Amino acid sequence: MSGFIKKLFGTLIQKPWEKEQMAIDSLDEGRAFDISSQKSAVIIIFGIATVLFSLVFTAYLYTIPPEQDTMYLLKPNLLWINTIILLFVTYFFGKITKDLEKKETLKIKKNLIIVGALSYLFLFGQATFWFQLMKSGNYVSTNTYFSSFYFFTALHGLHLLGGLFFWGKVTSRVLKLNNDKILDEEKNISALSLYWLYLLIVWIVFFLMIYLFNDSFIEWCKSLIS
Amino acid sequence: MSEDFKNNKEIHAQSSETISGGTGGSAPDLDYVRPAEVSDQDLYHGHSFITKWVFCQDAKIIGIQYFCLATFTGIIGLILSWLMRLQLGFPEAAGFMTAEHYYQFVTMHGMIMVVYFLTALFLGGFGNYLIPLMVGARDMVFPYLNMVSFWSFFVAVLVLLASFFVPGGPTGSGWTLYPPQAILEGTPGSGMGIILMCVSLILFVAGFTMGGLNYLITVLQARTRGMTLMRMPLTVWGIFTATVLAMLAFPALLVGSLMMMLDKLLGTSFFMPTILKAGEVLEYGGGSPILFQHLFWFFGHPEVYIVALPAFGIISDLISVHSRKNIFGYRMMVWAIVGIGALSFFVWAHHMYVSGMNPWFGFFFATTTLIIAVPTAMKVYNWILTLWRGNIRMNTVMLWCLGFIVTFVNGGITGIFLGNVSVDVPLSDTYFVIAHFHMVMGIAPLMVIMGAVYHWFPLVTGKFLSEKLGKWHFWTTFLGAYSIYFPMHYLGFIGVPRRYFEMYDSPYMTSAVGMNEFISLAAFLVGAAQFILIFNIIKSLKTGKAAGKNPWQANSLEWLTPIVPPEHGNWGDRLPVVHRWAYDYSVPGAKEDFITQTTAPSEVTDTKVEKT
Repeated sequence: MSGFIKKLFGTLIQKPWEKEQMAIDSLDEGRAFDISSQKSAVIIIFGIATVLFSLVFTAYLYTIPPEQDTMYLLKPNLLWINTIILLFVTYFFGKITKDLEKKETLKIKKNLIIVGALSYLFLFGQATFWFQLMKSGNYVSTNTYFSSFYFFTALHGLHLLGGLFFWGKVTSRVLKLNNDKILDEEKNISALSLYWLYLLIVWIVFFLMIYLFNDSFIEWCKSLIS
Repeated sequence: MSEDFKNNKEIHAQSSETISGGTGGSAPDLDYVRPAEVSDQDLYHGHSFITKWVFCQDAKIIGIQYFCLATFTGIIGLILSWLMRLQLGFPEAAGFMTAEHYYQFVTMHGMIMVVYFLTALFLGGFGNYLIPLMVGARDMVFPYLNMVSFWSFFVAVLVLLASFFVPGGPTGSGWTLYPPQAILEGTPGSGMGIILMCVSLILFVAGFTMGGLNYLITVLQARTRGMTLMRMPLTVWGIFTATVLAMLAFPALLVGSLMMMLDKLLGTSFFMPTILKAGEVLEYGGGSPILFQHLFWFFGHPEVYIVALPAFGIISDLISVHSRKNIFGYRMMVWAIVGIGALSFFVWAHHMYVSGMNPWFGFFFATTTLIIAVPTAMKVYNWILTLWRGNIRMNTVMLWCLGFIVTFVNGGITGIFLGNVSVDVPLSDTYFVIAHFHMVMGIAPLMVIMGAVYHWFPLVTGKFLSEKLGKWHFWTTFLGAYSIYFPMHYLGFIGVPRRYFEMYDSPYMTSAVGMNEFISLAAFLVGAAQFILIFNIIKSLKTGKAAGKNPWQANSLEWLTPIVPPEHGNWGDRLPVVHRWAYDYSVPGAKEDFITQTTAPSEVTDTKVEKT
């Protein structure tokens, strides 16, 4: 991060019209960062998604009535199971990264399929959890606590579906490729791995917020922003 | 479309690996540039009419598509403003218009002009056309995504316009769409109207995100060799920073629109408090209308700069080219663009002074608002100092530039009034506010758009626009716009409220009636004057003077393509190599008063650097 800030300010103080600077500038290759365009896109999407989820979290803190039971959602087992599934996805992406380093192409194919299957399992689990909630009489319009839960999980699910769309494209390509060509897809696979890591981080932040933040903590947060 | 666009020559993008570091100058060491290390971009070249002109992946065509569609929606916004002014100036002639119609026109005019006209035109239109050309790229990094971006915008516009034809018509809740009234019965368009508005905005944000990704990554990662960030023209800096702002601000609009749709369709209460209606308690409860205001303005204020920053960048380049001077304080101009962009996220609540906020909260936002005046003023001084002792060409482009500076200063000064809580509270919701924001983010950016159109039209079509018609267009617009908005300040001072369908028998109406009639007449005239440009474009495409290569003798890369107008892939076989910044005008010792960015140092060895 400090390197990035140093680079940013170092750039902004350049004097492009001076002869000494001109000689340095002529060595520029036209790229600000040594990463692929795909990875750049994923990082920018993280920025946008971070703002989006931060606003959803802030809205949750802003509107949650103090009398509501903010521990309720953590009581059913399924939410914990879904969280563990998401952790496993990240674990398998970690394995894929290692497979790429070791050039073990067969394992890459297998683990990519596992990642996709677990992600769909997570979505299925979330949908099942929604049905459980509705069965217990807690609908999206019941109160702002449940509204926020449904809203956040829907957004997170859509975010995951977007990732699964690109996972489908990359995986179908990888499965068709000969083993020696799979490593050419490294940029796309590592971009996907980064994407899933971000999904996990957002989920954990949300999970901590609805689990750890008890009524008194929410009250304190609200006093800060109101 | 001009004949000049019919270029059938195919381009096969070749690898830059084959290009040597030197440029063929007489002193290879002096002209040394880094050898190409990144393989060249492969482009999809459309062959049918559909793939070349409709579902096209060429950023230049996409830019033109954005420009035309944004202009189309802008004309609808203009017609709506005429209808509003007819009601305000001559209500007896507007008998067909009900109060509901008026509110719907106000709402649609505001949203169309801010989002679907100005934002789409600056970022989608100029961004797509100019970014790849100005940074020396063949195209955007993700051309397919870029195409999808435009078509998302197209569908967003269709959905928005569809709301005119649904039962209840479009939403009439004001362009800020404040709940709870936006979704409750009694407000025009509270049914399908507001739903379609939200859907349209969601589509717009989704589409823009795809385009924005392209703008950012192309600028950061796909510049040509030698094109450092600080050698980029300020136009690119303005569009780049505005895109960063948009990427961070639009999620707030997205979240607000989604939540409001859920409140409307699924009965959630994100923005809905407990409400009593005709003695009955509605099913809503527990939500906060103020939360929507925060979300809306967290988007809404950066939105002002999403429009203004590209305008700042473009005007800087136009002034520099047409006064034959390097831009005064280039670095300061970049800092100001970046600084204004960053500060714009800390001022949103100055739109909410009358929402009942804590006084310290108001104090904080008043302070940050007034701080923004500092980098903004720096820019104005630098434009004037660029003009100072320049070899000014008093052509149509320069007239629009000068018109912009005056108008922006006018609008900016009234912004300082409104930034102060104690001055804002009595002026809030009066015509003073209307006058302020129309001057600063309506007319001023419009003048930049017009200047840019007259400047870059020869690049896009190979023809000049008529100077004579251009001057008629400028003077009618300039004088007309001041005839509209200067009197509005007075109306605001005497307390005439905005958003009123009619003024009834209010005591202040004695002096305001005649003024309203005058303003309406001026509005009709200014609106009609815009059709001079459309006539000028059609006439010039048919009979305009051929412009040739680099007709303004500019330095930046967009004018230096091997073929003008540039073809798909922009640069023929070889990407350009950049040796200098874009502002070497009237350099002492140079044979001509401009040195292009691709001119090698060995070709201009006797020149002296001017301090800036």
